[in-house]
Order: sequence, then structure tokens, then C-alpha cells
Amino acid sequence: MPVTDSTAFHNNDNDQLDGMDMSATGSDYDDDFLMSDPYDPEEYDGVEDDGFYDEIGGQGLFTAEGTKGLEERRPLYQVEYETHSESELVQLQKEEAAKVSGVFGIPMSHATMMLRSMKWNKERFFERFTENPEKVQLEAGIVTLEEAAQRRVTPEVKQYFADRRVRAVESNVQYPDWEELSPEAQTQRNLVEFIPDALCEICFSGDPSVPTYALPCRHRYCIDCYREYLTHKIWDEGLSARIQCPEFQCPIIVGEPVVEMLVSSADFSRYRNLLLRSYVSENDTMRWCPAPGCEYIIECHTPQSALLSTVPTVRCRCGHAFCFGCGLDDHQPCLCILARKWLKKCSDESETSTWISVNTQECPKCQAVIEKNGGCNHMTCRKCQHEFCWVCLGPWSQHGRAWYNCNRYDENASKQARSAQEKSREALTRYLHYQTRYANHERSADLDRDMYRKTERKMELMQQASSLSWIEVQFLRDAADTLIQCRMTLKWTYAFAFYLARNNMTELFEDNQRDLEMATEQLSEFLESPINPDTISTLRQQVLDKTAYVASRRKVVLEDTARGFAEDRWDFNVSLTE
Amino acid sequence: MSGICKTRLMEERKQWRKDHPYGFYARPSRRDDGTLDMMKWQAGIPGKANTPWDKGVYKLVLLFPDEYPTKPPKCQFTPPLFHPNVYPSGTVCLSIINVDEDWKPGITIKQILLGIQDLLDNPNPNSPAQAEAYHLFKKSPEVYLKRVRQQANENIPA
Repeated sequence: MPVTDSTAFHNNDNDQLDGMDMSATGSDYDDDFLMSDPYDPEEYDGVEDDGFYDEIGGQGLFTAEGTKGLEERRPLYQVEYETHSESELVQLQKEEAAKVSGVFGIPMSHATMMLRSMKWNKERFFERFTENPEKVQLEAGIVTLEEAAQRRVTPEVKQYFADRRVRAVESNVQYPDWEELSPEAQTQRNLVEFIPDALCEICFSGDPSVPTYALPCRHRYCIDCYREYLTHKIWDEGLSARIQCPEFQCPIIVGEPVVEMLVSSADFSRYRNLLLRSYVSENDTMRWCPAPGCEYIIECHTPQSALLSTVPTVRCRCGHAFCFGCGLDDHQPCLCILARKWLKKCSDESETSTWISVNTQECPKCQAVIEKNGGCNHMTCRKCQHEFCWVCLGPWSQHGRAWYNCNRYDENASKQARSAQEKSREALTRYLHYQTRYANHERSADLDRDMYRKTERKMELMQQASSLSWIEVQFLRDAADTLIQCRMTLKWTYAFAFYLARNNMTELFEDNQRDLEMATEQLSEFLESPINPDTISTLRQQVLDKTAYVASRRKVVLEDTARGFAEDRWDFNVSLTE
Repeated sequence: MSGICKTRLMEERKQWRKDHPYGFYARPSRRDDGTLDMMKWQAGIPGKANTPWDKGVYKLVLLFPDEYPTKPPKCQFTPPLFHPNVYPSGTVCLSIINVDEDWKPGITIKQILLGIQDLLDNPNPNSPAQAEAYHLFKKSPEVYLKRVRQQANENIPA
């Protein structure tokens, strides 16, 4: 797929950037909205997308008509979003919990657990908690720490845990040392007790040498069974935030501190990981970057309901550009629903319809689709028995005895038959028109990439052989990135156009599309031109100009479609439902 | 938890003998050589009074996996029962004995059997397991009830 490769380019970029604060890249932007924003620029790593064109545009080399005024604000087609790493997300959760904890004067761990049970929806939490704090606490599985805090752990329990740690080492399982546990988990230990004659309801063993634990629901189990239960839930079922008390129909949640105290270090680290995953998957404003091996998380507040008028495209820190709405690779300016319909149509039909168009004709009488299975042009329709000529589609009766050839091309009857066929094939032809162009850009992007790879090596050699600096030979990379990005956009403009109902707006759209396409092809041609040290400076200038121009044409297309959605001026020939 | 499977079953048996709900029975089966097979229990569930299931006692086999009680036993009516949530094989489809749903290691044999008894007259139309009983239940309740009563008569213990 195209995007994997553009990721590779960006990865190099990021390798260099990693050491620096991400906001360093922000200083390259000349988009005013970035600089005037009161927030930390790092939050806006999202719009680095077009950063490299801006550098060029900023030198005043080229300003396309259409982009005038665009620099002053965030483009319409660009949604706001942030990229988080896993550790940043953990930090984010902490901050959220700290806010709640501060407002209500409750411990951090409680705030975390209650927020988690409300899927981190703070508004809902505030509402429910002010209404009925006890209920919220119960549902979130909060053990009132007061009871635990008043107690002291007995020396026997302490000893038991110490022994367990030592025993486990022999079987290669590692338990944390008590001092390493969070304060909440340490407090939970105070509730672990040796109770003579207590029967664990799981193993029924009543072994007095194993201590027991009970959540506030008082369902008491020995800690071996508890640990076994939790391990099963964590590893086999992948559960985290919703692990309940092992008792039949008991809804009390086993909270994080309890899990931390009972399970091994490896189990707990997996549990933490699952918690984070459920945080992202339960949160509508978060999505994992779908690029293979990428562990960044994108936060975007464009709601699902806005997908009929926005294409929330985001670019992950790893370089992968994708649609936040549906997770597909960047498909601007095509709406998610249209992109889905299009991809489905293509996978259903493209091969088939091409084959049909090449290999078959329709019976002039009943429109049954017919494949010629022999050499003779005298066709007899299996369905309606109509006899006609494969070449001119006219009725065979007029062909007399000329069995193997047809010289009657312009006869009226055959003309009519052909025009009828044309009409019925129009839909197919129309689809093929868009499909061919869509597929062509996809293929061209691959070829452009290959071409760039070859050129890149050549440039490296040239850099070594001449006095050119690294930065002077870098312009091709930007050009190739832009080129491929534009091809992706172009590709989707064809899918978009396929679903557009024809009107004046369509023509404007096609004009913009044509301009972008022309510019893109010109840039593509530049990349193929021979490179030698004498002409490189001219070429560089041309490529820089063209790159800036192409990028601006792309902005025009995207801006116009986005505005079209905002002004509700696009009409589609399909309904925007599944 | 596999190590505790046998202990737990022994203990379940002890508790069952001490106290169990009226009309029910549950005991480990005997192998051909006369020894007890703790992993396979025979049980009987009476239909609730004032329901069309009344009078009948329905036989089933509980098959315990080695991972019990981490995983639930498989509960199978022998012969297979006419009921929307019983598979043609006789296996009961019930959330509390499904490891992916509501099974918990704290659930006892008593709770399982009571749960199944409850299911008899309260079928769950959202998870049909056999076509015949399900369709009759949905489309011709009268025929369904007739079949249930007939089945109850066939299952009156001697």
C-alpha cells in the first residue's frame, strides 16, 4: 500500500525530531492559527501535515491564487486532533483524575476508578456523583479505604506475602516487593486476613495456611483462588476494568489496587496494558493508529454524526495518514460512507465489469448478456431465440448468405440495436471511467515511489561527488511526498465524483480536479527528468515551484469540497446510508 | 486452579448431601467398574410447581473440565430436552454456565441447577438453541405448551 512508504519517509523525519520537542517543528509553520493559539503548540502536532509546503510557500516563491487567505486560519478540511503516546495517555488519565479528585476531595485512585466506570465521561460523572455518590462508588467497585486504613496488617500476613515472593522465584514468577506497590494497594493488604474455619467458596479447601480477602460485598476467597481467577480473566479473557467479584451475580468490581496486590508483576503489567486499551477503545474520541506496529493514539473530537459532512483526516506521529472516522487510509475528499461504498463496489465489480465490457454483448432484443463461444458471427440468443449479428448487432435475417462476415455496418436496424446497447452500457462505462482513473492514480503513486527511490540514490551519489549540501538535494523528497499525497487525493476525487449528482457544482469540482491533476502530472514528469550536477539548481527551482503549486492546488480541491459540505451544496446520486 | 478441581468437587458433594433444594438430585456417576467418577455427575431437576413443567424430573449430566472451577461444567440433558435453549445434543445454553458470559468460579452446583430450573419455564428467546421448540414457542404457544406438558408426563419419576 502507498501509505506504508510515505510512512517510511516520515519516519526518517521523526528520527531526527525525536530528540527535540515536537513544538520545534511548530516554529516552521507559518499558519497563523498555530502561532496565535493559546495552547501549547505541541498539542497541534496534528497539523504538521502540510508543514513542509509552508516552508516553501513562506519563502514567497509561489503563492497560488486559491490559497490566498487560507494561511490565516485552519483550513476547513483539516480537523483538530492530537497524537498521544501510551505514556502520555497514562499522564492524561492522571490529570483527569486529579481534577476530579481535587473538586470532590476524594483520593486519586477512587477518582480513577469512578471515571473508568463512566468511560471517562466527566460530565456524566459529575452528574451521577452529585446525585448519588454511594451508588457511583459501589458500581465502580470502590472499597471504602477507611476500614482498610484503620486496620494494620498482621505479621502473619506480612510473612505469607514475603514467603510467596520467595517461593515464586523458584517457578520464575515475579511478585512485586511490598515497598514497590502503590499506597492504595498497600492499604488493601490490611484487609487480607487469616480466618480459621473460613471456607473459600472457590476451592472449598478451608486450608488455614492461606489467607483470604473479601471486597466490601464480603464474599471471601483465599488469595490463591483470587489470584488464579484474576489471572484467568486477565490473560484468557482480556478483561481489565470489568472484572467482578467471583461470587454468583455479584456486580462489585475488583479494582486496580486489589489486582495490584494479588497478582504477579507480569500479570499486573498486562492488566495495566488492558486498562489502557479499554480506555482507548471505549473512548469515542480516541483511536489507535492503524499502521502496523504503531503504538500511538490519536485523539480527535469530531463526532461520528459529523461524518456526513467532514472527512476527519489525521496524520499520526509515525507518518501514517488515515481517516479518524473509519480508520481507512486517508480518503479525502471522499466521505467515509462513499469511500466504503466505493471500495465495496470496486471489490465486487471492477474485475467482473471490465471482463463483461470486453467479452460480452447484449442481445439487441432482450438485453441478456451474451458471451461469444464460437467463431461464427451468427448469434442466437439462448433466452429469446433472437438471431443477430455479433459484429453489427443487426438482425441476422438481413445478412442473407454472408455467414462469416458482416458488411452491413450502417444499416438502420443495426444502428438502433447498437445505440440501445450503448444506453444500457452507459452506467457501466461511467463506472469504468471513474474506476480506471482511480486505479491509475493508485498505480502511478507506486511508480512515483519507485522512481523517487532510484532518484534518491542518484542524488546521494551526486552529493558525495559534488559540492552540493545535504539540504540542497532534499527537495526531491518533499516533491515525492507531495506528489504521492496528491495522487491519493486525486484517486479519491474520482470516487467522490462518481457519486456526485451532476450539476453546476460538479463542474466546478471537476475544474479543480483537472487543475490538480495537470499540476500533479507535471510534477511527476519533473521527477523523471535526468539529473546532473550542472542542471540541478535549475531543476531544483522548478521542482520547488511546482511542488508548492501542486500542494496549493490540493488545498484548493480539499478546501472547496469541505466548504461545499459546510454550505450543503453537494448532491449525491446515492443515499448516504449503509 | 486445575489442582483444586477434585477437592472442590468432593466438597461440593459433601455440602449437597448436607443440604440441597427439594426434589433435586446430584451425584457423581459410577464407572463400569463401580468406582466413582467425580468429573461426571448425574443430576435431576424438577419442574416448578404451577408451571407446565411440574411433575416431571428432567435428567442431565454435568461434565466437569479439569480447569473447573475456572471453567464451568458442561450441562447436558439426557435425553435431549424439548426447550428453546437446549441444543439438539441436550447441552444447555445459559449465560451463567458459559465461560465467555456470566460464569464465575464462585457459582456452585446448586446455583447451576436452580438456574437451569428457572430457565425451564422462562426460556430466553434471544438465544435459541433448537429450531423446533423455538419456532413453536414463538409462533404457536398452545402447541408449545401441549408439548411441554406431554414431556412432563413422560418424565414423571417411577
